[in-house]
Amino acid sequence: MIPASLHTYLVASVALFAIGLLGVLIRRNTLVVFMCLELMLVASTLALVAFSRFNGTLDGNVFVFFILTVAAAEVAVGLALIVALFRRRQTVQIDALNSLKN
Amino acid sequence: MTLEAAKLAAADNLWGAIIPELMLGCIALLLLGLEIILPRKHHGLIPDVASAGLLGTLLGLFLNWKSVMLGSETFSGLLYHSTAGQMMRAFFLVAALLVCLLARLTLPRQPVPRVEFYHILLVVTAAMMLLAQSNHFVLLFVTLETLTIGLYVLVAYHRTQPTSLEAGLKYLLMGALSSGLLLFGIVLLYGVAGNPALPAHTSQGLNYAELARFLAANPNNFVAALGIALVLAGLAFKVGAFPFQIWVPDVYQGAPTPVTAFLAVASKAAGFAVLLALCGNGGAFSPYGWLVTPVLTAMAAATILFGNLAALTQHNVKRLIGLSGVSHAGFLLLGVVAAHHIPMAVGAVYFYLFAYLLGSFAVFGVMAHVSGPDDAEQELDHYAGLAKESPFLATVLAVGLGSLAGIPPLAGFMGKLFIFIAAFQSGARVLLAIAAIGVVISIYYYFGWIKAAFFESWQPPADATEGPARPARSPVGLLTGVTLGALALASVVIGFYPGPFGQWLTMR
Repeated sequence: MIPASLHTYLVASVALFAIGLLGVLIRRNTLVVFMCLELMLVASTLALVAFSRFNGTLDGNVFVFFILTVAAAEVAVGLALIVALFRRRQTVQIDALNSLKN
Repeated sequence: MTLEAAKLAAADNLWGAIIPELMLGCIALLLLGLEIILPRKHHGLIPDVASAGLLGTLLGLFLNWKSVMLGSETFSGLLYHSTAGQMMRAFFLVAALLVCLLARLTLPRQPVPRVEFYHILLVVTAAMMLLAQSNHFVLLFVTLETLTIGLYVLVAYHRTQPTSLEAGLKYLLMGALSSGLLLFGIVLLYGVAGNPALPAHTSQGLNYAELARFLAANPNNFVAALGIALVLAGLAFKVGAFPFQIWVPDVYQGAPTPVTAFLAVASKAAGFAVLLALCGNGGAFSPYGWLVTPVLTAMAAATILFGNLAALTQHNVKRLIGLSGVSHAGFLLLGVVAAHHIPMAVGAVYFYLFAYLLGSFAVFGVMAHVSGPDDAEQELDHYAGLAKESPFLATVLAVGLGSLAGIPPLAGFMGKLFIFIAAFQSGARVLLAIAAIGVVISIYYYFGWIKAAFFESWQPPADATEGPARPARSPVGLLTGVTLGALALASVVIGFYPGPFGQWLTMR
């Protein structure tokens, strides 16, 4: 088996990021969009660890912990918002979020 | 890392350098403690404690203005202390104080708990103060996320109102998307700066100065350019610049009025403090001027035109102020573009931000008095006859709007003048022409609002079922009255006599 190179990790990371970004732009269910947003963060994390490993610097590995913490806080607030909105509206479709119009 | 290196790093952690931020954090925790300890009838004291804490921190900041830390890095290069950083600290503290004042006026109209609002407000303010002084991408990301996540909660704070929740969710999705772009940009920059095959590669690629050194040695690296573009896109989301401004009108309309004010002024200022640190003269991205300048120029032109044209047709004042805020972001971007060559432009951007703070909070103060229990429904028609009923509020509104529109001799005019001079010196003639067109358009819709307040009289609907009645206006309290008067007066005085601000501009 060929050992994975930096290139392999970066291709995987960019692919994850692209899937996440496309999902955010295309999907209409708030929960799925939210998962895609997390996917984008995970893609960055993967690239960060790969860079850190192949460049021989530790900063990237440490940064990952901060990103994980931030992502957890974001999920906590985000899911709370989605649940609160679901209780009022009985739907979490993005198209239904249209009460703010001029 | 060896023990010696760890000791060196620990010796660099000068906690005295961030006493204002630490104080805000402690007061924020104190508020939560007070809610548990104090009997329920004394809970009205908690907003006073928050305001007093902010005021005390502001005074302490002024007393230690020329601290020994100025011009040095602390926390192993995480923070860089500068006069501009001190200015932004004061800016965020003043903004938070004014938000406290607005919140005391509008929050009691809603059936929501109040202590957490002030808690989150203080934490977000501390994050903004650190962000304005950050010198490292890890600190930049962490503080930016602290403030954005806090703002998600604040935007959705009226959780019994679907409009507020919807605004919160929209802000969350957009904010998380922009964080994702920003983070990927940072990761790419870190990765390429640490590449051992490139000249001047560095193990400290997350530090602004180290990154600038690397970028200067590799002026045409594709990955670095992509990283810079992604970071700029993420920041453009935060300041609401075209084409990333789609969230602005909805979120501004749905958020509680004090939070809208905080978003419009403090959050935008935080974004511009970062943009100046990255794209200004000597900033991390300055070697990539060939990329940054055209991108920001195009963004500024599109932002000014879009913000002003979209604001023309608005009848809801919160959407109007949101879209006019987009155009203000465009003018500020013009200053950032100029800051690449002209050092004076940095001072001009800060001056503009202060003028924007004074004008915006005067207008938001009046909005808090005119609006009813439904925070999202604030129409231009509600302002009809304001001059007859409350000449004081109408005058404050006129001064605030006039300053935002840039009518001489108000502070907003001086702010625009300084930015235009800087842009002229840097040779951005086309952009300057577009900005001038934007100013003319903005005068039209700002004066539509003033006209509603001064020259139209309120006609109650002939039939009660025809439409919702106009909300009752709140009386002006002593403290709010004095503050609003002071804001309006400051707009006039600074316009006539820029004084210390002007000196600070020329000194740089």
